[in-house]
Amino acid sequence: MVAKGDMLYAWAKDSEVQKKGECGGAVTALLKHALETKMVDAVIAIQKGKDLYDAVPTVISNPEDVIKSAGSLHCGTLLIPKLIKKYLNGAKDKKYAVTCKGCDAMAFYELAKRNQINLDNIIMIGVNCGGSVSPVAARRMITEKFEVDPDTVHKEEIDKGQFIIEFEGGHKGIKIDELEEEGYGRRSNCQRCKMKVPRQADIAAGNWGVIGDKAGKATFLEVCSEKGANLIESAKSKGALETEAANPKGIEIRGKVENAMFKLGDSCRKRDFEGLGTGKDRLKLIMTESAKCVKCYACVDNCPICYCIECSTKKPWYIAPGVLPTSFMFHLIRFAHVSDSCVNCGQCEELCPMEIPNALFMHSQQTEIEKMFGHVPGRDMSPPIHALAEEKAERARLEATGTDSIYTNIFEE
Amino acid sequence: MSENTEVMKYVPTTCPYCGVGCGLNLVVNDGKVVGVEAYQRTPVNEGKLCPKGMTCWEHVHNPDRLTTPLIKKDGKHVPATWDEALDLVAKKLKEVSDKHGPRGLGFHTSCRTVNEDCYIFQKFARCAFKTNNVDNCARICHGPSVAGLSLSFGSGAATNGFRDVLNSDLILMWGSNAMEAHPLAGRRVAEAKKKGIPIIVVDPRKSMTARIADTWVRFNPSTHIALINSMMYWIIKEGKYDKKFVEERTEHFDDLKKTVENYADCEAIHGVPLETVKDLAFRYADVKNAVIIYCLGITELTTGTDNVRSLGNLAMLCGNIGREGVGVNPLRGQNNVQGACDMGAYPNVYSGYQKCEVPENRAKMEKAWGVTDLPDWYGVTLTEQINQCGEEIKALYMLGINPAVTYPDSNHVKRQLEKLDFLVVQDIFFTETCQYADVILPGACFAEKDGTFTSAERRVNRVRKAVNPPGEAKEDIWIIAELAKRFGLKTFDLPTGKDVWDDMRAVTPSMFGCLYERMEKPESVIWPCPTPEHPGTPILHREKFATANGKGQFFGLEYRPPAEVADAEYPFTLMTGRLIFHYHSRTQTGRSDMHREVPRSYAQINVEDGQRLKIKDGELVKLKSRRGETETIARLTDDVAPGVVYMTMHFADGVNNLTNTALDPLSKMPELKHCAISIEKLGGN
Repeated sequence: MVAKGDMLYAWAKDSEVQKKGECGGAVTALLKHALETKMVDAVIAIQKGKDLYDAVPTVISNPEDVIKSAGSLHCGTLLIPKLIKKYLNGAKDKKYAVTCKGCDAMAFYELAKRNQINLDNIIMIGVNCGGSVSPVAARRMITEKFEVDPDTVHKEEIDKGQFIIEFEGGHKGIKIDELEEEGYGRRSNCQRCKMKVPRQADIAAGNWGVIGDKAGKATFLEVCSEKGANLIESAKSKGALETEAANPKGIEIRGKVENAMFKLGDSCRKRDFEGLGTGKDRLKLIMTESAKCVKCYACVDNCPICYCIECSTKKPWYIAPGVLPTSFMFHLIRFAHVSDSCVNCGQCEELCPMEIPNALFMHSQQTEIEKMFGHVPGRDMSPPIHALAEEKAERARLEATGTDSIYTNIFEE
Repeated sequence: MSENTEVMKYVPTTCPYCGVGCGLNLVVNDGKVVGVEAYQRTPVNEGKLCPKGMTCWEHVHNPDRLTTPLIKKDGKHVPATWDEALDLVAKKLKEVSDKHGPRGLGFHTSCRTVNEDCYIFQKFARCAFKTNNVDNCARICHGPSVAGLSLSFGSGAATNGFRDVLNSDLILMWGSNAMEAHPLAGRRVAEAKKKGIPIIVVDPRKSMTARIADTWVRFNPSTHIALINSMMYWIIKEGKYDKKFVEERTEHFDDLKKTVENYADCEAIHGVPLETVKDLAFRYADVKNAVIIYCLGITELTTGTDNVRSLGNLAMLCGNIGREGVGVNPLRGQNNVQGACDMGAYPNVYSGYQKCEVPENRAKMEKAWGVTDLPDWYGVTLTEQINQCGEEIKALYMLGINPAVTYPDSNHVKRQLEKLDFLVVQDIFFTETCQYADVILPGACFAEKDGTFTSAERRVNRVRKAVNPPGEAKEDIWIIAELAKRFGLKTFDLPTGKDVWDDMRAVTPSMFGCLYERMEKPESVIWPCPTPEHPGTPILHREKFATANGKGQFFGLEYRPPAEVADAEYPFTLMTGRLIFHYHSRTQTGRSDMHREVPRSYAQINVEDGQRLKIKDGELVKLKSRRGETETIARLTDDVAPGVVYMTMHFADGVNNLTNTALDPLSKMPELKHCAISIEKLGGN
């Protein structure tokens, strides 16, 4: 019997899935199996759109279509949980199996804490993530640094500290450090990320630590929950998946890879946070940068922490409507409401039309708050430092009592 | 699974607002648009959107959408079937045509709708009525760019793309508030700033864009030519111009040189101290690559075409044309203002700017369209058609256009529309103009049709159908094709957007290579693109200019004051502009949540003027011009100079009650950005 804590090598039994999927197609096989056996109503996965660089989130309810999502796309910079909240009713009435990066897994927990997603209805298949590259930036990097026509590339991956492309007529790798020093490479939030193996998912899958004759032919699975164990057990018993115990040496190597990524993440944090300066200098920098804000609400709309029906930034007594440059209060409200729980998913920065490094600002504050209070967002269901309130009930209470103090109830206890 | 039960279906398409042409995904659940999500793969905006792009889906299923044809009976608009409505339109237009000939009708198309609609609309007007009275609203935004850049460079379009500013050593923005009016082009400027590229903004008003600039130069409204001439005087005097470029690639430099002699110091006109003028001039001239970005501050004046040509002069003088990091780039206002002109919805050209006066062009179109006797005359332009209502013109057909709010002098426009025998309005909402319509035809919005928009960088971007039009509303190409049938026209059997596009391509050499198949790639195609193998042309005029002899044309241009200037009775100068939170007459943005940002019109008035007139910030004022009046809220600010008032264009009975209809002689652009007004305190708010 598969149990929580197990470390396995796994591969699809179906030869087509094996061929089309990454590393033996275990993830594709598990998703397909979950759908076939009606453990879930649909699978949410990333599918290739116009080309290799175009990652499109797709809801798949026909098991035969799961294969279309096979293979990995490193230019997928999407955040799936917020999409589930916005467009799939927070998985409140349907069950989904979802592939997720570290930031997705963290966002799932933060949205679940706020009653925006029902995690009981979600099977999370985590995938190791060394970071993602925005699609247009990736194409530019391949053109300018690799000197290869991006349209001729048929595979890209991040392995052993290199960004590697395979293209018509060859393959080429360049060290990520070198690329990132020159402003290419992964998104800046990815560079600072330390959620490389998403163990808060039900299964953490990846290719790190698959060695020996299984290298490239199997996926490393770490079983992280009973839900995950059940899925693997069921897939095995119905003949969808084959497994063997992971090679202990492989487990060791996997740990080393992860540790190396942590170190890289730490050094990027140091570089980025120190670059902000301290005290008044830091405040000045944040104010100058955020003065470019044109109030598009992309940061709010895509943030996995933001969920309020009535957003404080839309209250005219805080922020005068229709005035540019947007009042700094807009950003102060965001900092106050989000920073304790920021999971550094990077959406607010990647989608900012005015190139404001929103994620860097928020992440720098989150790490300070974590030092002070020891709260780690996105790791489990432990509540954030801020109070959690049912918005509608809380607003009714404020209305009824005439108070403007949202936190009264907490301090009274 | 059938189409209508799909959930979270992404439909990649192009934003329906400004001319930047941002890509975005419409999200469809069960046959309804439920949101917009980032389309990171598009090279134009890389997933980033402005407030309008973020909310562009919100009006799609609005209950106010027109869902059935309406016919005016006894002063009321009553629902009709398509056959009733189309038969009536055909009958009435035919009557007018029979009685008054081809000059008795006029056709206005929107720059907001797809190329395919614009093309089939002008084809219908020309085939069915043998008229060239076809125009689009570029006439009142970048008409002077088309005219001016054509005269100077031989092509009326932007020379370089948005992202190309990152290759510049200096960015000169003139009369452009890109951060608000074209935010994702503004983003490239913000990126450039991060790279350390200096940014100079020349604008009478301290706009959002002026705030991010390294240098902001305030000058007196509408004195562009004087200021540019002065800059050029000093560049020539100090020998800082590009002699090689001037000699090899241009002509008529002597005319320019002679004219600018009189502009050594004209601070009295433009208000900029001489030292600042010199600094501005030398900074532009001294760098290797400098780009000029401009917008309606340049064009919407009676000197519009000359203002554009002056910028052309300046760029050529310093050799800043024909390579990366340079150029003269108008930021086109509407999503498809480039395209509407490209499609030949213009009174003197067919698609691809092929002149109607050239017999070979007419013969080619006659053959392709299966008609004879296409007219050779220069048709009547947009606002001139309004002036002719009830006189030469008896019937107008308006596709997606709202002149009762957006054309200058609204009172005049409404009076003129009332004089018509017959007015057809084809639109998606019941606009202010619909009140004057005899028949209203419900069309499809951007989310309900396949087609293309051509952005300001000449990139032809795909628009994809996500959902069906509401109720009985129909795709616009269907409506025109049905009308064409009623006139016995044979070449309108073009059921899809692609069919219409290919019909256009077949007669348009400069766009023949822009295939729908090639537009599937998010980079799409940038015209000129003469063959399917041609890579497209992101930068114009590399080796030679597009003029007849390949030489760039210098023009010696004298400063002329605006048609109406402030005087004792109307002591303030009124300037107009666009807000980030609204689009034109608000038929769409007014129906989104964003509307709460600016629910009412306001006027920026200088603090000193406010104090003198005892007007408090936020209180109601009445603005009056010789043509009308409007009530609005005063916002006191130093962003405008004393004596200058700024107001946005979006509200009915608003700024266009005041604006002037005087025209630029070359482009027929009305003077929307300059008129004289008075301010009266009303009190209250």
